[in-house]
Amino acid sequence: MENNQGQLVTVENASKFYGELAALNSLNLTIEPGEFLVLLGPSGSGKSTLIRSLAGIEKIDQGRISFADQIMSEGDKHVAPEKRNLAMVFQDYALWPHLTAEENVAYALKRRSLSREESTKLVLEMLDRVGLANKRGNYPSELSGGEQQRVALARAIVARPSLLLFDEPLSNLDADLRERLRIEISTLTREIGASALYITHDQSEAFALADRIGVINKGAIEQIDKPEKIYNKPATRFVANFTGTAGHFRGIVNSVDEKYCNVELGGDLLKARHTTNLEPGMEVDILVRPAATSFDSTGKNRIKCSITDVAYRGRGYDHAIETKYGSLTGVFDDSAHDRGERMEVSIDPQRCIAFQIADSKVVEGLARI
Amino acid sequence: MKLKVKFNALTAFWILIVAILVAPILLFLLNAISPRSLSQGSEWFTLRAFTSIAHGQFAQGLFNSFILGVLVAVLTAFLATVIAWIVLRTNSPIRRVWTFFVFALLLAPSYLIALGWQRLIEQRGVFDILGIPSAGIRNLFYGPVGIFIVLAVKGLPFAYLVISNSMRSLGGEFEDAIRVHGGSRIEAFKTMATLLSPAIWSAIAIVFAETISDFGVAATFSSESHFPIATYSLYLAIENFPANYPVGAAVGTVLLFLIVIALLLQAKYLRGRSFRTLSGRTRPFRTIELSRLGKWLSSGFVIAILLVALGVPAFGALSASALSGVGSPFSGHAWTLMNYKSVINSPSLHNPLLFSSKIALIVALFASILAAVCARLLTQKKAGAGSQILDFILLAAVALPGIVFAAGYIFAYNLPLTNSLGIHLYGTTTLLGLAYLAGALPSTSRSLVGNMSQLQESLSEACRVHGSNAIRTWIDVTMPIIAKPLLAAFCLTYAGTLLELPVSQLLYAPGAEPLSVGIDKALANYDYGGGTAMEVLGILSALAVVAVAYSLFKLLAPRGWKRIGVARGK
Repeated sequence: MENNQGQLVTVENASKFYGELAALNSLNLTIEPGEFLVLLGPSGSGKSTLIRSLAGIEKIDQGRISFADQIMSEGDKHVAPEKRNLAMVFQDYALWPHLTAEENVAYALKRRSLSREESTKLVLEMLDRVGLANKRGNYPSELSGGEQQRVALARAIVARPSLLLFDEPLSNLDADLRERLRIEISTLTREIGASALYITHDQSEAFALADRIGVINKGAIEQIDKPEKIYNKPATRFVANFTGTAGHFRGIVNSVDEKYCNVELGGDLLKARHTTNLEPGMEVDILVRPAATSFDSTGKNRIKCSITDVAYRGRGYDHAIETKYGSLTGVFDDSAHDRGERMEVSIDPQRCIAFQIADSKVVEGLARI
Repeated sequence: MKLKVKFNALTAFWILIVAILVAPILLFLLNAISPRSLSQGSEWFTLRAFTSIAHGQFAQGLFNSFILGVLVAVLTAFLATVIAWIVLRTNSPIRRVWTFFVFALLLAPSYLIALGWQRLIEQRGVFDILGIPSAGIRNLFYGPVGIFIVLAVKGLPFAYLVISNSMRSLGGEFEDAIRVHGGSRIEAFKTMATLLSPAIWSAIAIVFAETISDFGVAATFSSESHFPIATYSLYLAIENFPANYPVGAAVGTVLLFLIVIALLLQAKYLRGRSFRTLSGRTRPFRTIELSRLGKWLSSGFVIAILLVALGVPAFGALSASALSGVGSPFSGHAWTLMNYKSVINSPSLHNPLLFSSKIALIVALFASILAAVCARLLTQKKAGAGSQILDFILLAAVALPGIVFAAGYIFAYNLPLTNSLGIHLYGTTTLLGLAYLAGALPSTSRSLVGNMSQLQESLSEACRVHGSNAIRTWIDVTMPIIAKPLLAAFCLTYAGTLLELPVSQLLYAPGAEPLSVGIDKALANYDYGGGTAMEVLGILSALAVVAVAYSLFKLLAPRGWKRIGVARGK
């Protein structure tokens, strides 16, 4: 079967209310044809509402959703889910329990008006592709969680839709399976050329899959960009926090240059990057990425600490440490350090970012903390 | 400004619900306080009907019903707990057959159980014919004791289902936790009883409501035993000439009030207590290995209950139908199939069975479809005010005594107002059918709600996003998944309607008598053999229809449909 061209999806000022609560708050988003976009956000951020609105399961209250030049939702207009030429992989798999794996996958081809032979051929090819050809006659209750989700993936992809929606499809699986299925999702989706929207609260999943990542909070997109940009230049404290930190320190800006600032922590001076305009005397939070930390005694930007926990990770050891200013986790070293051992942690200024604390005022004189 | 009324399938559904469920009951109960508004008296507002039932036979009937309700509820909750423990927690051999008998008890109406006992112990009954002395038991049974036993037998399956469901979900880890932390067996048992207490209270409330609503025992024992109970007083108030609807409505209101009080007490007890015992991590409990003596005692206990509940009445009905001259002082007595022959040959005896079979089939079909719609509306994720109102109506209607329901129909469809609206249904089979439908709908809907709520929304949503419209989604996903519970609902409604008593008794159209009325008439004409043969044939025909329905499902339903609800690995 021919691949459908990936769909251009545009969401303009979309709002959706549940009583007083705005699940979507004038949200804007574009998915380019063939792009794999991942929306990353915590529970209750509106990502499920958005994906369900794109699917046509929910109706938006305000704004517009268009696929290419066709309006799907706007005002009273609401195109039914079955007419949107898309497919979706659900968090709970949503496999129909009275149909076998083969019948579940074949169901998605009904709208394609294919001959029985053609349909069977495509279904078997797809089941083979996801490694389940030998389980085609099994019912969902006879399959493991990973197998069920692979059937759901095959069902979504078999009809070559122009838009694929993934609603946290890996969240019910164990770590090993998650990784294997993530690769299958990534390769299969790109193979068929569909546009894809994938929602998750797992930042590692988002970084591994996405062409672009959108970070969503309180029903609006906080930042949307390439994964590297999101990681290295988070636009807000929320984005930085949600995309992985080892911990944070609070302090007062001592001096600022174009790229870096020195922050007084209350005895130690820590150098950090800044992404917003800071002034000396401002109260800031320094978010430290895990990769910023090491026990390199020659490095600059060092703070005294003691080891509180150590965990073997195969390639080395992750340490949890306690400093005068707060704790950090995931401090990696090739060798293990004993609990209680006094050390110095070195923090790479390039990988820690200072954000002004909301509503903080400039503090004159010395640091208060 | 022109008022625009949007008429669609949902509006039609609501009109039907109001016409068959809400209006008849409300209009009837309104009689109790405002007879003039319905042309039944001269006062717009009065409590006269209530003062007139505050003494004499009516007060005695209400008091007797209340006491019976309490005693029956407490006894059945106790028996049901013991039986549930034997069946679910031990290796007693009786556990293998018990479930079948529970459903048999659930299907058997109280008047058939009472009639079975009557045929055995009445003067010139089966015991007299067989030379078994029965004067003592007769004197005992034609009074409160007999009524109590029959009502307890009827309440037992309800109590068992509620308590056993809760006990089944009570995992073994609670008991294990007590034992490993030093608790004795008795302490473990106490904790289990506390965890079960919500179910026990629910069982007490449900059995109390069922007991004080029962009409079957009122129509059989109560009328002959000089032990008035409320449902029979209500029946007399509206069936005697001239009918006294306000008094009937007052009795109905007090009955409803008592049921509401029971449900409120249950809710009050449960408020703030959450004994959620079912989770994905619940571990199955260990089966308790009984000793040989334990097996004998437990089986003997359950068999004794089954004998009283089903064995004796079944023997009474079967033997009376297979003996000639039961109840007659003149003729000789012999074992014979003549009674069955006469049912088959006599139109006055077999027509009621044929009529009830036909109407039960139609009612069961419509009730199942409507119940599926109701259950869907009740379980949809975005439950609006409509769902909540429907929930309340169905819950209230489940608690409504059948006799109040039937009285409401007689009254509402006999009003001049109804006739002036062009609705001439009084005295027709259509009205009987609608009343059956309305009576069956609440419990049938409730029985589907559990299964429907387990149907995850995402299954339907997946169907929609993969190209099916709403109707196709119902056909392809919802129907197959609820097919089995729907079939069970159909069978229960069919059997319930076939053997129904209060609505049949009050609403049957002349010349089209339902089975229960036919049996009653045959017995009233002293044709005990013919009447009991009708009973037996009625029950056998119900079982046959259930067997055919399940066989057809087994033969014709796709394999996947049959797998829903089957444990993994089977």
